[in-house]
Amino acid sequence: MVSGILDGVDNRGPSPALVGMVDPAHPSSRRAPLRWAIGGLVPWLVLAAGQAVWIAFDRRLLWLHIVLAVFTVLGAVISLTVVPLWRYRVHRWELGPLAVYTRTGWLVQERRIAPISRVQTVDTYRGPLDRLFGLANVTVTTASSAGAVHIAALDVAVADHLVAQLTDIAAIGAEDAT
Amino acid sequence: MSLPSSRSETAWQRLSPRMLLVHPVHELIRELPLLIGGVVLGSTTGNQSWTVAVLAWTVAVGAARWFTTSYRIEADSESGQVQLRAGLLHRKVTSVPRNRIRSVQTDARLLHRLLGLAVLRVSTGQEARAEHGFVLDAVRVDQVPRLRAILLAESSQPVDAPAVESAVSNTVLARWQPSWLRYAPLSLSGLLTMGAAAGLIYQSGVVGPLRHSRLAESALDAAQRLGMAATVAVIAAVVILASVVLAALRSLLTYANLVLWRRADALHLRHGLLRLREHTYDMSRLRGGTLRQPLLVRILGGAGLDAVMTGVHGVGESSVLLPPCPLSTAESVLTGLVGDPNVVTGPLRGHGRRAATRRWTRALGLPMLIGAVLAVFTLASSVPLWLWTAWLAVTAWCALLAADRIGALGHRVDSHWLVMRSGSWERRRDCLATAGIIGWTVRQSPFQRRARVATLVAATAAGTKRYPLIDVPEDQVWAVAAQASPWVAESIWAIR
Repeated sequence: MVSGILDGVDNRGPSPALVGMVDPAHPSSRRAPLRWAIGGLVPWLVLAAGQAVWIAFDRRLLWLHIVLAVFTVLGAVISLTVVPLWRYRVHRWELGPLAVYTRTGWLVQERRIAPISRVQTVDTYRGPLDRLFGLANVTVTTASSAGAVHIAALDVAVADHLVAQLTDIAAIGAEDAT
Repeated sequence: MSLPSSRSETAWQRLSPRMLLVHPVHELIRELPLLIGGVVLGSTTGNQSWTVAVLAWTVAVGAARWFTTSYRIEADSESGQVQLRAGLLHRKVTSVPRNRIRSVQTDARLLHRLLGLAVLRVSTGQEARAEHGFVLDAVRVDQVPRLRAILLAESSQPVDAPAVESAVSNTVLARWQPSWLRYAPLSLSGLLTMGAAAGLIYQSGVVGPLRHSRLAESALDAAQRLGMAATVAVIAAVVILASVVLAALRSLLTYANLVLWRRADALHLRHGLLRLREHTYDMSRLRGGTLRQPLLVRILGGAGLDAVMTGVHGVGESSVLLPPCPLSTAESVLTGLVGDPNVVTGPLRGHGRRAATRRWTRALGLPMLIGAVLAVFTLASSVPLWLWTAWLAVTAWCALLAADRIGALGHRVDSHWLVMRSGSWERRRDCLATAGIIGWTVRQSPFQRRARVATLVAATAAGTKRYPLIDVPEDQVWAVAAQASPWVAESIWAIR
C-alpha cells in the first residue's frame, strides 16, 4: 500500500502511457472501525433476539436451534472483527486539484474517480450512529447515477473541511455538467 | 405573476378544440365499468334514464377536461418556463424550465390521427418517465413543427425564422424497408405477447365453460388419436408460428414507415403504421450509440441501433434509433452520427488469456458440478440415459456461448471515443464519446483480484448511465481510463 503523493504533474505534450494509479492517501476516521462494527452487529442482534423468542416458545428441533445459533454467533463475530478492520484497511480517499478519488469495499473492492469540474452536489450525511461517534459521510454526485463518489466515516471536522474545499474548487452550477 | 405588463408573460392557451371529440370517447372507455353498471341498473329498474345520466356525466367530464387544461410558453428561452395547468378536481401545474428541455416527441394514436392531432411530450434531463413529464394532449399536427422549433430553440437561434428553416436541408439517414421484418420474429416479443394474451383469456374466465364445449372435446379426441409426442409437436409448431406472426405484426405496426433524418443540429425519427410517433433529439446531447445484436438477429446479419443521449432513457423504446435491420445500415447510420468509421467497425483489443479463462470457468462451472452429481448417481444407482444426453447438450451449448463471449469481449479507446463490445446472447457494441464520461469505477471481486483482472465502469449522464467493461487486465485498466479522460492521466495519482 503506497501512502505518498506523486508531485510534479506534467501535462505538456503527449503523456506517456499510464501504468497504474497510486492509492488515495487518507484513511477514514480512527473511530470508523468501531462505528462499522456496531452498525454491522445490529442485524445479527435482531436475528439473535428473534431466535431467543423462538426458543422460548418452541423447544423441539433442538439441532436446528443449535445450528442457527452457531451461524448467528459466527456471523456476528465476523462482522464485529474481520469486516470493520478489513474495510478500514481498504477505505481511502483523497481530493486532488482535478479529481476526487476513493477506494471502498472489503470483499468486493472499488476505486472510483470523478472530475471536480463535473461535480453537481456535495452532500453530508450523519446517521444516529455516526453522530454518536462524531463521524460524517460525504457524497459527491455528478450528473451520472453511476458516478457518485461516497466517502464514508470521516471525522466531522475533516468532512466539513472537505465539503468547503470541494464547493470552493467546483464552481457548482456554473455549467450544465452533463 | 400579477404583473401583466412583463414581456415574458405569455397568455395561457388551450389545446386543440378537436379534443372535445376525443376526450369523451377516452372517458367512456376509462369509465366502462361505471357505464356497464348504469346500463345494468337501467335495465333492472326498467328506467333507462340511469343509463342516459351516466352517459351524460361521462361525456361532460370528458369535455370538462378540455376546458380545464391550458398551457403557456414563456418567451424568454433562457430563464422562461413552459407550464401546463390541468385537472378537474385536483388542479396541477407542471412547470419545465425551457433551457432544460432535451427532446420533444409526438405520438398520435388512431383517433388522434383521424382528427389530425398529435400528443406532444417534452422530456428534460433528469426524469424522462412519461407520467411525470410535460404532455400536451393534444395539439393540431400543423402546429407541431412550430411548437417544436420554439421548445427546442437555443438562445442563439432565432425562434421564428421559417426562411432559415427551409434553407437547411434534410439528410435522410435511414428509411424502413419491408425486408427488415425478417428480423422481427427473432425476438421474444411474439412469445411474450402470446403469453400475455393467454393470461388475459384465462383471467377473463372464458376457459371454464370452454373446457366442456364441443371444441375442447374434439381437440382432446384428436390428441388421443395422434399420441403424446405428435400433440406436443403440433402445439409447439402452432405456438412458434403464432409468435412469429405476432412479432412480425407488432414490428410492422410499430416501425413501419420509419424515417430517420437529420436537419442541422437535430435528429428526427418518425415511425408507426397506425399510431404515428415522432421524436426529435438535440444532436449536441448525443454521446454515442449502441449497436445491439441479439444472437438470432446476429446470425441473420442484423443489428439494432440505440442512441446514447442525455435526457433520454437508455433502455426501452425511447432510445431506439433503428429496430433490427441489416448490419450495414445500422453501421453506416452510426458512422454518420459519430463521424469515425473506425469507432463503428474498427478492430478491438481483446482482454487476454485470463479474461478468457474466467469466461470458461463461469460458463462451465455449473455444468461440471451437475456432471459430477450425475456421475455419483450413476455409480451409486442407475440414471436414465436421456439425462446424460441432455447434460451433454447443455454443456456443449454453454461451451459455445463461452467461446462466443470470448470472441466478443474487447475495447478500443482513443482521446475521442471509447468502444466496448461484449456478450453473446445479447451482444452490444457501445460507442461512447469520452467527453461525456464523468467518472470511472474500477471494481474487483476476490476472484477478479486473484485473476488480476478488473471491471472498468464508465459513468456518463447519457444512455444507461453505466457502461461496464468486464475483465480488463489489471495493468491496462487505468491506461484505458487515462487515454479516454485527460483528467485521469493528469491526476496526482497517475504512475507513468
